[in-house]
Amino acid sequence: MRARAASRGARVPGTIVMKVAGELDGVPVEDTFAEAFGMRATRLVITGETRAWARHAAVAATGFATSVIACGCEAGIERELSVRETPDGRPGISILIFAMSSKDLQKHLERRTGQCVLTCPTTAAFNGVPNEVAHEWLQLGGALRYFGDGWQISKLIGGKRYWRIPVMDGEFVCEEKAGLVKGIGGGNFLILAADGASARSAAERAVAAMRKVRNVILPFPGGVVRSGSKVGSKYKTLIASTNDAYCPTLVGLTRSALPEGAGAVLEIVIDGLDAGSIAKAMDVGIRAACRGGTGAGVVGITAGNYGGKLGPHHFHLKELFA
Amino acid sequence: MSALKFVLRHTPPSAVDVSGLRPALLAGKSRKEITKLPLTGWNEIHRVGDLFSIRGDDAQRVVVDGADERLLRIGAGMEGGELTVVGTAGDYLGESMRSGTIVVRGDVGTFVGAGMRGGRIDVSGNAGAFAGSGRAGTLQGMAGGAIVVRGNAGDRAGDRMRRGLLLIEGNAGDYCASRMLAGTAVVLGRVGIDAGYLMRRGTLILGRSPAELLPTFNHNGWHDLLAIRLLLESLTVYGKRFQSFARSRPSLSRWLGDLGCDGKGEILIAPGRP
Repeated sequence: MRARAASRGARVPGTIVMKVAGELDGVPVEDTFAEAFGMRATRLVITGETRAWARHAAVAATGFATSVIACGCEAGIERELSVRETPDGRPGISILIFAMSSKDLQKHLERRTGQCVLTCPTTAAFNGVPNEVAHEWLQLGGALRYFGDGWQISKLIGGKRYWRIPVMDGEFVCEEKAGLVKGIGGGNFLILAADGASARSAAERAVAAMRKVRNVILPFPGGVVRSGSKVGSKYKTLIASTNDAYCPTLVGLTRSALPEGAGAVLEIVIDGLDAGSIAKAMDVGIRAACRGGTGAGVVGITAGNYGGKLGPHHFHLKELFA
Repeated sequence: MSALKFVLRHTPPSAVDVSGLRPALLAGKSRKEITKLPLTGWNEIHRVGDLFSIRGDDAQRVVVDGADERLLRIGAGMEGGELTVVGTAGDYLGESMRSGTIVVRGDVGTFVGAGMRGGRIDVSGNAGAFAGSGRAGTLQGMAGGAIVVRGNAGDRAGDRMRRGLLLIEGNAGDYCASRMLAGTAVVLGRVGIDAGYLMRRGTLILGRSPAELLPTFNHNGWHDLLAIRLLLESLTVYGKRFQSFARSRPSLSRWLGDLGCDGKGEILIAPGRP
């Protein structure tokens, strides 16, 4: 039975007709785009005597960094590095940190490295941005060295300056500078599923595939967001609030964007060092989410945008079928 | 194009400043112009053609063949290119050089690489006193680049050194790294007395224990520091002896001083025979 009337512009599932760009395993993909913004980004390589210690530092340094809206920066683990890939031949983890300005990025890089890597036994921190792509330079060891209270030692090794800061397990070694690149934040897509379990399962498949793409992070818990947001709020102090169009519990009250059969939506947000990497991550993520087709409970894929008026980077879902 | 080669015709009557024979000053000049270039001697001016016979034409690769200890300041102020010296070079080889490479197949005199800021000097033989130090009268020694001495170095190696690498495969004389301000000096052989005398900062790595250290150095313990591991690994490009030293990953005895001045220098001594 369909509702006869929807007051104040409310729509019910089934009245929405998605403009479909194509289908993946029978799952309709809406002909829309993800709208993303320019950000400032850096890569940090954290090493430790064991991978466990490097991971402890990396997890702490990328904690509480899901969205710039309230965290100030967005950060995540990019990938694990083998002993052949790190500057000191120890196990390592590379992390990416994104902020809205160079000044913000400097502040968060310094705080997070200082509180989460400097403090972690055996770890060291290295710049992970190659010289040829660094747009400008952030102070890393150059800012943290003062913790040494005058006992810090600078050492030029192989053309790079390092700081040796005395700590209680020996020395914290930290490269003086970290490269800044012009990154992109806010690449995204939404998985529209029949129910929560199907949505989570599809999102987990997508995240597992996207974690293999370099130069990107998925900053939210487990790589997934359930609280997609829209710009603005009825409350003047909030700059963002719940994306009511995709909330299944608001169907019938608001202008729902949910197609028929959609009972839960999860979003995956991607920050990347370049547009190509974000596009690649979206591609592999969407294909993984759609694996199993509608039989796996996925009823559609769409993406979030603001009409193209706010962000200069547009990732069109129809590119999946190009 | 073949390397531009200067073959010494005869030993000059007195010391001659041959810093004019560096790639940047020779580039774009004809053989005839080069022949007439002046070289300042002791109260006399020599022409290049008077002292050297010239072959080849590539000014970016210069060879001084049959060098004599009276040839001073070979490659001084170099700003790029390659310079090869065959024979015994005089004092101040590579003084104040900024970039490029000097290879010496033989010995060099005193003050090799004095005040250099970049580039690399590789000496197959021995070096005289004050290798990598400052020019006489200046307050800072080498401030960049690398000097590699495959043989022995004289006294005061690394005196007032400010930055860069001074690598000695053989032995070093007395007062090695004296008044060192910063940088890294490595001696794989023995050092003379009072290594690190008035050292303020910087790192002196010794492949063999000295007979005794200054009383103004305090023992800090045995350490396997990550920064030193990185440093040693970076030395592997400087030849097999540094490679095998680095790859042996020695646990080093660390001494801090000289407490007679700033006291932030470190002497790291590999275990083994004195």
